[in-house]
Amino acid sequence: MTDVIRLGPELALLIAAGLIVLMDIALPVSREAARTKRALGFALALAGVAGSIGWSAVLIAADEQGEAFSGTLVVDDFSLFFNFLLAGITGMIVLASADLLARTRFHAEYLALVLASATGMMLMAGAVDLIAIFVALELQSICLYVLVGFLKDSRSAEASLKYLLLGAVSTALTLYGMAYLFGLSGATGLRDIAEFVSASGGDSGTRAALVLATVFLAAGLGFKMAVVPFQMWVPDVYQGAPTPVTAYLSVASKAAGFAVVMRIFLVALGEGLISSDWATMFAVIAAVSMTAGNLMALVQTDIKRMLGYSSIAQAGTFLIGLAAVAAQDPQLLLGASSVVFFLGAYAFTNLGAFIAVIAISQKIASDEIADYAGVAKRSPWLAAGLAACLISLTGIPPTAGFIAKVYVFNAAVQADLVWLALIGVLNGVVSAYYYLRVVLNMYAQEPASEETFQPSLSLGVAMAIAVAGMFLIGIYPNPLIQASESAAAVFG
Amino acid sequence: MLPEWGQVGFLLLLALLFPIGGIGFSWLLGRLGIRPERPDRVKEDTYECGVETEGTAWVQFNFRYYYFALLFVIFDVEAVFLYPWAVSPQRLAVAGFVEVLTFVAILFIGLAYAWRKKALEWL
Amino acid sequence: MIPINDFLVLSAILFSLGMYGVLARRSAVLILMSVELMLQAVSINFITFAVYLSPEQFTGVIFALFVITVAAAEVGLALAIILRLYRNKQTANVDEADIMKW
Repeated sequence: MTDVIRLGPELALLIAAGLIVLMDIALPVSREAARTKRALGFALALAGVAGSIGWSAVLIAADEQGEAFSGTLVVDDFSLFFNFLLAGITGMIVLASADLLARTRFHAEYLALVLASATGMMLMAGAVDLIAIFVALELQSICLYVLVGFLKDSRSAEASLKYLLLGAVSTALTLYGMAYLFGLSGATGLRDIAEFVSASGGDSGTRAALVLATVFLAAGLGFKMAVVPFQMWVPDVYQGAPTPVTAYLSVASKAAGFAVVMRIFLVALGEGLISSDWATMFAVIAAVSMTAGNLMALVQTDIKRMLGYSSIAQAGTFLIGLAAVAAQDPQLLLGASSVVFFLGAYAFTNLGAFIAVIAISQKIASDEIADYAGVAKRSPWLAAGLAACLISLTGIPPTAGFIAKVYVFNAAVQADLVWLALIGVLNGVVSAYYYLRVVLNMYAQEPASEETFQPSLSLGVAMAIAVAGMFLIGIYPNPLIQASESAAAVFG
Repeated sequence: MLPEWGQVGFLLLLALLFPIGGIGFSWLLGRLGIRPERPDRVKEDTYECGVETEGTAWVQFNFRYYYFALLFVIFDVEAVFLYPWAVSPQRLAVAGFVEVLTFVAILFIGLAYAWRKKALEWL
Repeated sequence: MIPINDFLVLSAILFSLGMYGVLARRSAVLILMSVELMLQAVSINFITFAVYLSPEQFTGVIFALFVITVAAAEVGLALAIILRLYRNKQTANVDEADIMKW
């Protein structure tokens, strides 16, 4: 029974998803019923998210931590942090999807898939066994493949196909790495693998095989994190997918991907000998991702594509934190906690930006940056929100993005990676160009029409939460810093 | 290594010999003039359980087959998880039984969904 | 007993063939088959390790079971998406799926 209690946050989402599907089957098919179904599905989804958050809070209050299901899952500060983060993101995405749902027949499917993939993501953060990690990864990915192809147009189908084929290849690569880890250590538990690595990782033959497995794992998981050179799916998928799904991909899926990477690399492969190999690898990937992402973002004309490339650059910035993880314990914690903090800060910022894009783009019926001209005159609040989020993405105070960048660069400098921090700062300057171009476009240009518009209620609420959270973290970051430090302490 | 695989190799040899021998013997009889050879259209036709063939094999299948194929693949493969439980239900006790019931219930929701969405009907 | 290396080499060859197929093929269906080849290569690896290194445990075999079921789900979904693309564009070739380009 303890097992089930510890699985509570995931179960709440899964049960909500199941109920939504059952509700869809049970109610009759008619126009009036469709409206009830939509409202009911919406309520059930939000109830599931609330239940999940509530259960996580209960787990904290009852201090119910430890392993579950014979050591395949674990409840600790790290997984609880991600439970809150992912459930919060899912709730925001459900709110942001209201306008999309009004235009489609498949409400139940959409909501159930969002909740199921959120379950997968939470399991990714909590899994400490290779089998569980693999199943969680796939639960998340397969739901997302469907969500990306949710629209009826061929652009959405094309995005979905590209995402699926590349995702399947990345799964195969990850699995190949896992197979060798399993073959070398004879175990699938991350702790057991860690024991093996520290016992016989010094042997040169074993070490070569371990490095091979590490490279395969990093390649496969690189797709999920969307870092160069595994980023080619990002712009197409971001552009083709429905915008709420794009936001979901760029925030939740990325956070869960980093959670898995931190679990595998810091727990199983954290032993000094091996970690010195992958720390350098991550440093190089981080530098290339930031530079390539930002340079490509400069020339984009579609705002979703631009945010896609910028998310590649952001992923590179996260990786700085991982690269900063050195053998010594205090630095390990600083690097890890900087990544966790950045993921939290980035979630609010990016969600805010995407929600604003959803609201604006559906009114002006275009994703082109040029068509954002003069939006500030037509919808001052939305324009202000989007501008604030873009400023936060650039890393200008007093926003969450500024604190997050300072935190990560500090970790890099502490770990003697000054060159990496310098590249990061330079990239921040480059990124200012394309972020602020959008802001300038909205404020300095003349609008195409004088008609003003407002976002729908649920979009407005989601937007307000995101922007408020972003400024709150920017002005008073201590609670989140403490939370991410205690989450990172799991790896100590 | 060889003795272990020898049996498989022997079987392979036998399996090859059987059809080659039959066809070869028939060909030999034909060459010697013992076997009569009077081809006609029906004899030359592709053998398909005795039914007359119609058109080529390269036709586009009705894509409704796809729904059935898909459902079959999914449910067929998911059934694989029942085997590990089925071989030791005693040892897995009540907890195992509940888990299997949960699993089947989730599959059943999927089936009910497909049914309700008319994926099981030949429209 | 056949040396374990034979199986690992077999799996590596299958995996590389699959990778080649993914990179070289144009038809989405053939790419999908190549991906399956890669996944089955991994399954061979898992079962080999399970049989040779820890025959008293079934971890590797169970891992292979999960790989198989997930692969089935993925193929079902991929075929559905290819079908959708085919209805929209009358082709299943990935290099003709090029509405979005950088």
